[in-house]
Amino acid sequence: MAHHGHDAHAAALPSTGIPNGKLGMWLFLASEVMMFTGLLGAYIILRAGLGSWPHPGEELNVPAAALNTFILLTSSLTMALSVAAVHRAEPAKLRLFLLLTILLGLAFLGVKGYEYSQKFAHGHLPGTGIFWDCYFTLTGVHGVHVLAGIITNLWLLWLTFRSDFLETRGHFVEVSGLYWHFVDVVWIFLFPLVYLI
Amino acid sequence: MSNPSKPGYVPYVVIWVWLIALLAGGTFVSYLPVGKTGAVLLILGIALIKTLLVGMFFMHLKSERSVPLWVVVLFPFLLIGGAVLLVAPAIFFFA
Repeated sequence: MAHHGHDAHAAALPSTGIPNGKLGMWLFLASEVMMFTGLLGAYIILRAGLGSWPHPGEELNVPAAALNTFILLTSSLTMALSVAAVHRAEPAKLRLFLLLTILLGLAFLGVKGYEYSQKFAHGHLPGTGIFWDCYFTLTGVHGVHVLAGIITNLWLLWLTFRSDFLETRGHFVEVSGLYWHFVDVVWIFLFPLVYLI
Repeated sequence: MSNPSKPGYVPYVVIWVWLIALLAGGTFVSYLPVGKTGAVLLILGIALIKTLLVGMFFMHLKSERSVPLWVVVLFPFLLIGGAVLLVAPAIFFFA
């Protein structure tokens, strides 16, 4: 699964050995790691500091969250396949995999919306207790990140219809993929910490 | 248009199968009578393995040879380690 870039704009700079876009995205992701660690750290300390904490399995919809984990892991696969399609210069497959990634992202938000609507119907809103504050903050911030990834991939999908996309902007897919996989990794930790433990 | 020297699709599907198996395993573990500490360690251990799979294979870190990039990737985790060491006494002794 090595890289075989043919996009002249994605050439590694001699000063860093890394293409600018890729380095920029990794720097952004490093700041995102710090932000989510702050949020998760606050959540863990709040839980540890309080004597009692509701069992997540009794308050939250674990099957829906497990389904969402399946959806997001599968979207990571289709995103990785999109990057491979760029390296293999297969634009039709690239469009198919990008479209699947977008649809899976929308499915994730749809399930999340269903979960939220259930909570709202039972009067569980942000501000109705520390458990719900943590739940809505952590999953809400993550959901916004998923939405940002969907919008970016929609823009990429539109760009793929340009005849020179692979030659001039193919590396955009890899940079967007890094972001999408990061959002997946965040959920890999959110799911057990919020829903299972 | 496919070229045997270009990256294939199948290895990514294999990684995905492992990820789904680990998802099932992590969810199953949460229902096992292994005690709170045991469950937390197992579930977070599985999450860590999933993260490594995504990072190494989907994000291509496995084939990454650039030292500056590895510094960028690992530096936040160094800071997180320091932060955990700072707050750990508050969690374990004063909570």
